Amino acid sequence: MDAFQGLLAGFQVALSWEGILFVLIGVVVGTLIGMMPGLGPISAIAIMIPITYGMDPAPALVMMAGVYYGAVFGGSTSSILLNAPGISGTVATSFDGYPMAQQGKAGKALAIAAIASFFGGTVSVIMLMLLAPALASVAISFGPPAYFALMLMGLTAISSLSEGSTIKAMISAVAGIMVVTIGIDPQTGTQRFTFGNVNLLDGFDFLVIALGLFAIAEVCMLIMNRKNRNLSDDQKLGSLKVTRADLKEMSGPMTRQSFVGFMLGVLPGAGATIASFISYIFEKKISKNPEEFGKGSIKGLAAPESSNNAATSGAFVPLLSLGIPGSGTTAVMLGAFLVLGVQPGPLLMSDRPEIFWGIIASMYLGNIFLLVLNLPLIPYLAKILSIPRPLLISLVIMFSLIGVYSISFNTFDLYMLLLFGALGFAMRVFSFPAPPFILAFILGGMMEQAFRQSMTISNGSLSIFVNSPLPLALIIVSLLSLTIPALIKWRSRRLLLKQ
Amino acid sequence: MKKTWLTAILAAGALTLAGCNSDNSTEGASSGEGGSFEPSKTIEVVAPAGAGGGWDTTAREVARIFGETGIIEENLTVINKEGGGGAIGWAYIHGQDGSAHNMFVASPPLMFVPLNGQSEHGHEDFTPLANVIADYGAFAVSADSEWDDLNDLFDQMKEDPESVTVVGTSSPGSMDHMQFVRIAKAAGVDPTKIKYVSAQDGGALTSVLNGSVDVFSTGVGETVEQVRAGNIKVLGITAEERMEGEVLSEFPTAIEQGIDESFINWRGFFGPPNMDQAAIDYYEEKFKELSESEEFAEVRKKYGWSEMYMSGEEYKEFLDTEKQEIQTLLEEIGLGN
Repeated sequence: MDAFQGLLAGFQVALSWEGILFVLIGVVVGTLIGMMPGLGPISAIAIMIPITYGMDPAPALVMMAGVYYGAVFGGSTSSILLNAPGISGTVATSFDGYPMAQQGKAGKALAIAAIASFFGGTVSVIMLMLLAPALASVAISFGPPAYFALMLMGLTAISSLSEGSTIKAMISAVAGIMVVTIGIDPQTGTQRFTFGNVNLLDGFDFLVIALGLFAIAEVCMLIMNRKNRNLSDDQKLGSLKVTRADLKEMSGPMTRQSFVGFMLGVLPGAGATIASFISYIFEKKISKNPEEFGKGSIKGLAAPESSNNAATSGAFVPLLSLGIPGSGTTAVMLGAFLVLGVQPGPLLMSDRPEIFWGIIASMYLGNIFLLVLNLPLIPYLAKILSIPRPLLISLVIMFSLIGVYSISFNTFDLYMLLLFGALGFAMRVFSFPAPPFILAFILGGMMEQAFRQSMTISNGSLSIFVNSPLPLALIIVSLLSLTIPALIKWRSRRLLLKQ
Repeated sequence: MKKTWLTAILAAGALTLAGCNSDNSTEGASSGEGGSFEPSKTIEVVAPAGAGGGWDTTAREVARIFGETGIIEENLTVINKEGGGGAIGWAYIHGQDGSAHNMFVASPPLMFVPLNGQSEHGHEDFTPLANVIADYGAFAVSADSEWDDLNDLFDQMKEDPESVTVVGTSSPGSMDHMQFVRIAKAAGVDPTKIKYVSAQDGGALTSVLNGSVDVFSTGVGETVEQVRAGNIKVLGITAEERMEGEVLSEFPTAIEQGIDESFINWRGFFGPPNMDQAAIDYYEEKFKELSESEEFAEVRKKYGWSEMYMSGEEYKEFLDTEKQEIQTLLEEIGLGN
């Protein structure tokens, strides 16, 4: 069966009444769970595994996939409205989405996020359909040295994630790297900074930190600035209308970042969170007005939103075509496949074409459903902001607590949420930016592990990073991105001095 | 606690009476041990890991078969207590002292993790109920590797240990690492010179496929699909005899390659400390029924697991011997605590 026939068979699955029904159930459950701060696709999929016992595998897996990308789609809502990331992939969405909502443009921000998500989702499904078998080789092209170089490239962008003091941004980033070292070190099996506490053995979950530094810190700020009525009854939903000019402005970032997000999603271990950050930084770096970023820029919102949705489809490449789960969520997905008696891997496409192509075909449908469902909901969702402030604050706190508790059902995590909330609040007060902390936390851990894996493989020789083209190219790019801005600055200063 | 005891005794008493009156006592109720035991409420099965992994799958499939066949009539619910490679879940179960309605699924990490100093609780702190399945380790290399069997690999390692890197999912001193060390040592490789890296999120298989590392130490089940696709080849497995099943039966054991060593990734169920003997007897019986059922045979087939029922003294002895061997080996490579 060739790809075209396969795809036809796939659409037969996706467009059967069963297929349509289960895609719909999947995306509705996914969006709703994604909207709750902290509750993400992992818990949604895990909850649904027992429901699928005895079901026909094709519709069951189509539904599971729908839950996954539906959650990423819906995750932007609470990032934009409440500064509380719905899932880890939408932390970057809040950088510009939340300022927009505060400026009374909540409706527009949600509409832009929905359109960008739809665009990213659809572009990436097309790529998934055309390139999935070919991309399998891309997914395994990254060895430890290349991962190290990729993470290094991401970290060199830290300075561009902050305004004001570079030193404060660096301190914040170093703190992020320090926090990620807590727990059992995979390369030696020794405990680092756990102080004998079993709850620290696995280190901190990303969401504990993201919700603490963003949602809880924001709540503290709101309580402190009681007189500023920047989030209260008189807040307007604003026009929903996305003008032609807006569309034109977002088309560039959407197109570029759908590709970037998809390719990063294909790499095991990278995923939607890293993709959204890198896309945000990418757009800010190439923007003519980088100073607009972080203050409600349409580009700054569209970039991470199209990227994280594209990365979600990208993550299906290693899962479906290699049987390699690249993240915690896809690992749970893999478990769902196995329970249903389907083995994802290199032979899935020939053994079970209806499942392989059925999932891909259903994603077209799922993305359309998501757009159609989400757009009319926006006015109602944005009404959240008209909830009286004391009530809203309590709700944010409550949902953050529920979200964190649902990660591993451990009350210890709740205290840690409060701790990081306090830290985030202190950082706000003393104007230390939080994004570098978060970025260093997600990249630093992988970077350290990749570095040490490389060192073991090469018996301690650093030449492993320059001996093959991929890591070498990435290291050169990161060096350039560090030196070029400095050079430009130095030159313009010299020009000024001459004058 | 006292109240639960009373209820249990009362319930047990009532049941014995009921059994006498209706004289259809099919099971020889273990009299003399203080009466028989029947669960009186939902049984909680802890998977000390997240959803989707080996422990979680085993727990969920076992709970499902118990329910579907009616071997245990009371409900079983699986809960995930993730963290510390199992330590969080074990600490939780350890706190349910004496409860007859809690159990957890375990495998060799219940020995590796405490031996590596990452958990206060080891297998001897719990009540072994029964072992249900056995799984085995596999050592795989890329399909275009120059090595065709374990002896090729181990000869190279004896000659130039620095040239070979082994990758697994867990940290050094844990199962993926130690199953390789155990077989390699028996083949005459210096166990202290084995280079091992740990990679998460699918990184282990990826780095074998792209040639960054040489050998993948993993479970047999993880290799089947890649072997069928011709991406990797399995040099040897840690089972004592060839396994059954398509593809699986093609994997040579280490023993048949002249390396006299094996490693069983056993999987069984344990209760909290001080579980009542009547309850232990009850569960031993039920797990035996499960293990012998056709429905569970289907499950084993689906995941490529082998049948391995053990209980009572036999199980305890097996566990103690395994732990002793692991400890000796860990000390030898300088990881013992």
